[in-house]
Amino acid sequence: MTTEFLWQLPTSGDGRYGNSKKERRGERSSARHPYSEGVTDPRGLNFNYFDYLHQVARAAELAGFEGIRIPEDINGDEPWIVAGYVARGSRHLKLLTEFDASRGSSVYAAKNTVSYQRFTDGRFAWQISAGGNAQHRRSLGDFAADDEIIPRIEEFVTVARGVLTQAPYTFKGKYFEVLNGGFQGALANHKVPPVYLSGNSSEALALSARSADVHIFDAAGADEIRQQVDGLTTLARQHGRKLGFGLRIDIVARETEQEAIFDAHRFREQSANKNGSHAQLAGRHLWAGLSADITGANATLVGSYAQVTQALVDYASAGITSFLLSSVPHFEEAYRLGEYVLPAVRAQIARDQRRAA
Amino acid sequence: MTIDVFWRIPTHGEPSSHRNRTPHRGDWFPGDDSKAESGSVGKGSNGANYIDYIAEIAHAAEISGFQGGLIPSFPMTDEPWVISSLLARETSTFRFMIPFQPGFLNPVGAARMTASLQRATGGRALYNIITGGGGPAQLWWGDSASHDDRYGRTTEFLDVLKGVWNGGPFSYQGKFYQVEDAGLADPLSKEEYPEIYFSGSSDAALASASRHADYYLTWLEPFDQLREKFDRVKTRTQILGRKIKCAIRVDIIARPTEEEAWAEIEKGFNSLSREALDKFQNPDGSDSVGAARQRGNRPTTINSYKDLIIEPNVWSGFSLLRGGQTNGIVGSYEQVAERLDELVTLGADAFILASTPHLEEAYRVGEEVLPLLRGKTDTAILRAVG
Repeated sequence: MTTEFLWQLPTSGDGRYGNSKKERRGERSSARHPYSEGVTDPRGLNFNYFDYLHQVARAAELAGFEGIRIPEDINGDEPWIVAGYVARGSRHLKLLTEFDASRGSSVYAAKNTVSYQRFTDGRFAWQISAGGNAQHRRSLGDFAADDEIIPRIEEFVTVARGVLTQAPYTFKGKYFEVLNGGFQGALANHKVPPVYLSGNSSEALALSARSADVHIFDAAGADEIRQQVDGLTTLARQHGRKLGFGLRIDIVARETEQEAIFDAHRFREQSANKNGSHAQLAGRHLWAGLSADITGANATLVGSYAQVTQALVDYASAGITSFLLSSVPHFEEAYRLGEYVLPAVRAQIARDQRRAA
Repeated sequence: MTIDVFWRIPTHGEPSSHRNRTPHRGDWFPGDDSKAESGSVGKGSNGANYIDYIAEIAHAAEISGFQGGLIPSFPMTDEPWVISSLLARETSTFRFMIPFQPGFLNPVGAARMTASLQRATGGRALYNIITGGGGPAQLWWGDSASHDDRYGRTTEFLDVLKGVWNGGPFSYQGKFYQVEDAGLADPLSKEEYPEIYFSGSSDAALASASRHADYYLTWLEPFDQLREKFDRVKTRTQILGRKIKCAIRVDIIARPTEEEAWAEIEKGFNSLSREALDKFQNPDGSDSVGAARQRGNRPTTINSYKDLIIEPNVWSGFSLLRGGQTNGIVGSYEQVAERLDELVTLGADAFILASTPHLEEAYRVGEEVLPLLRGKTDTAILRAVG
């Protein structure tokens, strides 16, 4: 399986500082006029945060990422709309779009996906998430109980794959139903979106073993990741399946380790949870508690380009095939990683694979 | 007050003229949705993609003076949410009219999508809320609510959408939807609420429209019938304390002379198969009241295109030439403009026009017909009274 690097599109805000989540570059309705009255601001109302998101997507493509992950964040813009908005500004990027199974009809999601695939040459992909805790879900009009979340995701995926690959297709489940469905003619035979799932519960892992194309793990040490990969590989084998493994992790990479540590501390000082712990999780390069309010990852790799490169190579050898990366500010950091880290990681993975072959 | 004129996006491909099904544009096999065939601007021709052609039509429409366009959604079409978001960045004034059925989306999610689309386009998104036909067609989409239930659901859907729009917190206990402390986050909550065009001809539809719609949208029907319908809609909404406007979705064929316009119809009609005519007269089952109202206006035997002329400049065979509604306006530039103005005096406040091929015809109609429209000038109103 080839390795892919996906860059995160910061759908709810991005800026230069540790509190970047509150900043939206280019947002036209910002109450704060950034210039003094003695200086003309030529922008007027011509731009907003979407213009910046477009640039981040372009940066990911130009810097050599295989795709972007468009996360669902209730404080940010809606991922399907963002995916469409950036689609025609890129030629190759996979558009991994996050949502949860309460979004509506699975048939409708599949039908919209057909148009995305037709118009992007098959670059659209799904990340289906649990959708937050029960109170959060009720604020989204979703009153499903906790133990219904996983079965509903499974039905959602089953129905979507059904109508995308068969016609007529009929299904009657607990959450979704379709009669003589499926797409014909010009709408038939388009790429079924790769399905990325996540979650640490045994139910979530069992679902991924049955249904996921890629299972995404939270950041942890390479040894722990290797155990998780091996466990899920065994589970999937029981269903005669193989799947890919993703790692959601943040990065602070600088030319020297000292610079990286300095910047990591500065981010922490600037962030909302500066009083929380920032324990080093596994080895001295994996920090917890640094990035939660910025990008949503579980942990951050902090180190020199060479150190971060080696850490990513270690994850690859533990079985990770999809790297879901982010770092603030996402525009500048896409170029930095694309120039200083990704080429070295790719070269080393290729060497390791040749040696293993 | 002035009238708004929209164009339409062909989301199902289209022939390059009304005369024949080929040559065609897009990926749909002419006349048979179960097959695919790339025509010009179809997938794979010169690396072009059908979205590139749709983008050209949107540009043509905005350059030619249309407000924007209706982007139809049916089982065999591409989807309007996708098209709108893909074209957000490369259009300037084009407004995206998105038809969708409330049953297909969670209302809070729909509010988020819409607010983001407003942000992506500078406020150019609007809705065409459809509650749908019925029977097996509805189950194809995975929707099993019965006809009258569906309008109740539409009303609730729009209650929730409106409730969360400006940030909430909003709670709601409906039959179909419940939310608890819901609301869009800043800055999504600062966007303008989308204008709503509402379709549906049954009593249940009108009850729902009177509560939430800005425009009541109908296909073209015989003019007297439309006058009665518009009066009924406007009276009904006034009782509920709201004002509603009326809009007509209609195909047109406009040419320098009436003869040239009818010649298009005649050529198109003469190229039809007997089979197509038979199917036209005996369509398969659906419980759409609007579709039945259109069929009721037709003669039972059809020997010539002229048998389908139901009143001056109105031909009721358009669905023979391409998918969609049956009635359309055919005539010289002046006649088409006059008929449209007549519809304004009957109560129309907006039009969604279309003609094949949508790209070139957007320029023609924008240049030749729209400048002749009087619309809602004071003199037009005086004429109507006098």
